Amino acid sequence: MKTMSHSKKIYLGAGAALLGSLGTVAIFARAPFTDAQIAQQSQELLEVVNKGRDLWHGSNPSMSNNGLACGNCHPDAAASNPQTFPKWVPQLNAVAPMREMINWCIVHPQGGTALDVASADMVALEAYAVYLYRGEKIQPGYTVPTPPIPVKSGVGYPYKASGIGVDK
Amino acid sequence: MSDSKDLTRRHFLGLAGQAGVAGFAARAIGFNIGLVELIHAEPTKTAVTPFSFAIITDSHLFSIPDHKFDRALEDAVAQVNALSPAPDFVVYTGDIAQNGREDQLVKGQKILSKLKVPLKVIPGEHDWYLDLGKTWNGLFGKETWSFDHKGVHLIGLNSILVKDFWTGANMTPVQRMGVMEMLESPIAGPWGVRDAQLEFLRKDVAKLSPSTAVVIFTHSPLWDYYPRWNFQTQDAPEIREILGKFDHVVSLHGHVHQTIYNKFANFSSAGALSTSWPWPYPPVALDYPGSQMNQADPANTKDGMGTQHVNLGAAGGVVTYDPFANSLTPFLKDGLKV
Repeated sequence: MKTMSHSKKIYLGAGAALLGSLGTVAIFARAPFTDAQIAQQSQELLEVVNKGRDLWHGSNPSMSNNGLACGNCHPDAAASNPQTFPKWVPQLNAVAPMREMINWCIVHPQGGTALDVASADMVALEAYAVYLYRGEKIQPGYTVPTPPIPVKSGVGYPYKASGIGVDK
Repeated sequence: MSDSKDLTRRHFLGLAGQAGVAGFAARAIGFNIGLVELIHAEPTKTAVTPFSFAIITDSHLFSIPDHKFDRALEDAVAQVNALSPAPDFVVYTGDIAQNGREDQLVKGQKILSKLKVPLKVIPGEHDWYLDLGKTWNGLFGKETWSFDHKGVHLIGLNSILVKDFWTGANMTPVQRMGVMEMLESPIAGPWGVRDAQLEFLRKDVAKLSPSTAVVIFTHSPLWDYYPRWNFQTQDAPEIREILGKFDHVVSLHGHVHQTIYNKFANFSSAGALSTSWPWPYPPVALDYPGSQMNQADPANTKDGMGTQHVNLGAAGGVVTYDPFANSLTPFLKDGLKV
């Protein structure tokens, strides 16, 4: 009967210990986020979303030389379908991410200067559109429904990140 | 008008209206029940002399010189001037300007002055909220009006009036205008024509016979299409109630930048193509989805925009859209019966 050499036993023992330790690391990679951490992360996101909303409505003059902003043709990011990108974009004759389509709109209908695709402004624009469409179905020309809420003047829609009019 | 004549006409219009709805629904699902033959088979006497008028709307002119929207409005004027037969008049249903500035309104007036036929105008929110209509009134007169033409009573109302949100907030006129410019802004709240114009409307139609054909123009639709974008008029139910005595009311509006149709009892409504940009259809189920045009191609700077003209006669009217590009579905190319 062959017996395992001492050195092999050592290697196997070390391997088992490593696997066990990896398993432990995988399960307990970090402690769950606390409520305070989740609130802080959500706030960070919503601040970027709000910045994107302002950019969508013309807060960066370099994005337009004719007064038009994204919101002119896409109120509430309507018919922009951010959840469907990357996809074939006829204007670019390629499969492209949303940021490339945003730049096409900036350059063509708006006559402005394209953004750096990795810029904070571009991230904010994408964040705004994607936030509005989270979990929505993919449908050409689709606009996310935005039910009204009671406001001071009657029935309206929240401006700030407490919902941006779409949290149900 | 005698009672017997009234009855004949009212019976006819009721039948024609039913035929119109049935025909519309039938065509929407792909077949034709001979609507034209049905209407023309019913003899009638009417005080309406057939005529047409055109609608131009929502040019959103900027102050920037030689802006593409200037050229679009010039194209619209040329298109209407080329209609044959010529329309009797043109109605502009609001939003000449983008920011309500005097130079924008003056530029629009100058371009519209090239129309070969008379012009009637009502305001949109983009025309109004920089100086609360002062410049607009100076250029175009009263925003509330009515007149009779060839047996039809036509009414124009200012439907973009909101409660004062600016005084308490110490807003400047530019800030006030900025709030109103944004379609999905929650701050201003819903629009309406408000009490004074409702009273005007009551008095204006009080002595008219129910058989009188009525056409009403507003910037925003007189039904709750999509209130989030103010595709509504808050006191539209009251307007429809005041006009409820008439056999046939046609409501024509701007603001929505798209083809759209709806009908309530005696009340037919149609939206107008803008000359500036098209809006996507909002996420609501429509009773008449066939009234939607094709989704616009953003690479075609004229797609989804244009003008429209309306033919009115004894049996009602037809709205014919005249797009700058090939934006219409085959169904829409026949026009919308209103």
